[in-house]
Amino acid sequence: MKRLLILAVALLALHLASPVSVARAGSVGLGLYGGESIPVLQDDVDKGTMYGVRVPVKLVPLFMLEPFYASSKLGEKTVDIAGLSYTRDGFDETSYGLNAMLSMGGPVQFYPYAGIGSTKLKRTGIESTFTSYDFGFGVGFHVIPKIELHIRGELQAVVDNGASRKFGNATLGVSYSLFSMP
Amino acid sequence: MLKNLRLWLPGVMLAGLISAGCFLVSGQFIVTFDFASHGFDPLIVASPTTLAGVPVDLNLISEYKDHKGDLKDVVDLALLGKMTNLTGTATDVEVWMVANPSGILTTDTAVRAAGVRVWGPLTLPANGAVSINWNKSATLFSGRKALIGEIKGDGRFDLYAIGSGAYNFRVDKGALVAVISAGK
Repeated sequence: MKRLLILAVALLALHLASPVSVARAGSVGLGLYGGESIPVLQDDVDKGTMYGVRVPVKLVPLFMLEPFYASSKLGEKTVDIAGLSYTRDGFDETSYGLNAMLSMGGPVQFYPYAGIGSTKLKRTGIESTFTSYDFGFGVGFHVIPKIELHIRGELQAVVDNGASRKFGNATLGVSYSLFSMP
Repeated sequence: MLKNLRLWLPGVMLAGLISAGCFLVSGQFIVTFDFASHGFDPLIVASPTTLAGVPVDLNLISEYKDHKGDLKDVVDLALLGKMTNLTGTATDVEVWMVANPSGILTTDTAVRAAGVRVWGPLTLPANGAVSINWNKSATLFSGRKALIGEIKGDGRFDLYAIGSGAYNFRVDKGALVAVISAGK
């Protein structure tokens, strides 16, 4: 969160040094985000932190594509077995992929989105890469022109052999409009 | 066309969710077969001709029984416990699995002939003890595929700990842990 704050200040400074923009149909941005990743129905891993980078690309009004990269450090899990406590490492998770989103609204935007990606799960003795899907909903606020704050909630499903590991991800992010076209 | 985006993107998402339903209704569950609960604690392995096997029947474990019908995969394994070398000579301990047991075997020659190595070797120092934690254990599986096959199969197999050379060791509070993925 501290890094996000520093980034927000840096983006603000960059913005103040640039010409004032106006709303346009096409645009490309850069965003950073962080938050919490909560395993769903997984007995062997605990919640952890996540952060990542997004590049929102608006080609036409209403519709955006967003390549993303995400990294999570999921928590270790301790279980009692035969009177002894055993702790299993959490996963180091890295993902990259593409979201498609429907952007609605003005200064405050609402956007449902869905995406597909590749996710690597790594813990001691195990390292595998899977296809993953995410479904979510976000709200974006124009703090000042060119800079937006984003709050998102999503369900991420990492698919493996007909089952999946699922994560509920809650993130707070900031994005900066790099350039836009009339 | 742009107006249609309001309709087709949610539609595509809904279709995705429905088609994804088969893997969304799933979870990861820990199945533990601890030797003490089944009368095998401590497990004394007195010599290459005096083995003590553990007949594992996962069908006795509720987490396994509840999800056996929709078991998709075994995503993590561990053999846990404390091993103590009762001799003054170091030995390398391995765990072997006999998939279709017809009775408890008593010699490591018979176990090697009938079974497959699934874990180890783990070096036990002379007169020393090693507590095996989950992370360490996960790195020692050598026959993961065979063990997973049995867990996804009938869940009934025998496990044997055997050493190298002339050995005599004890296993305290041993347990087999499997994390299963199950889904509708």
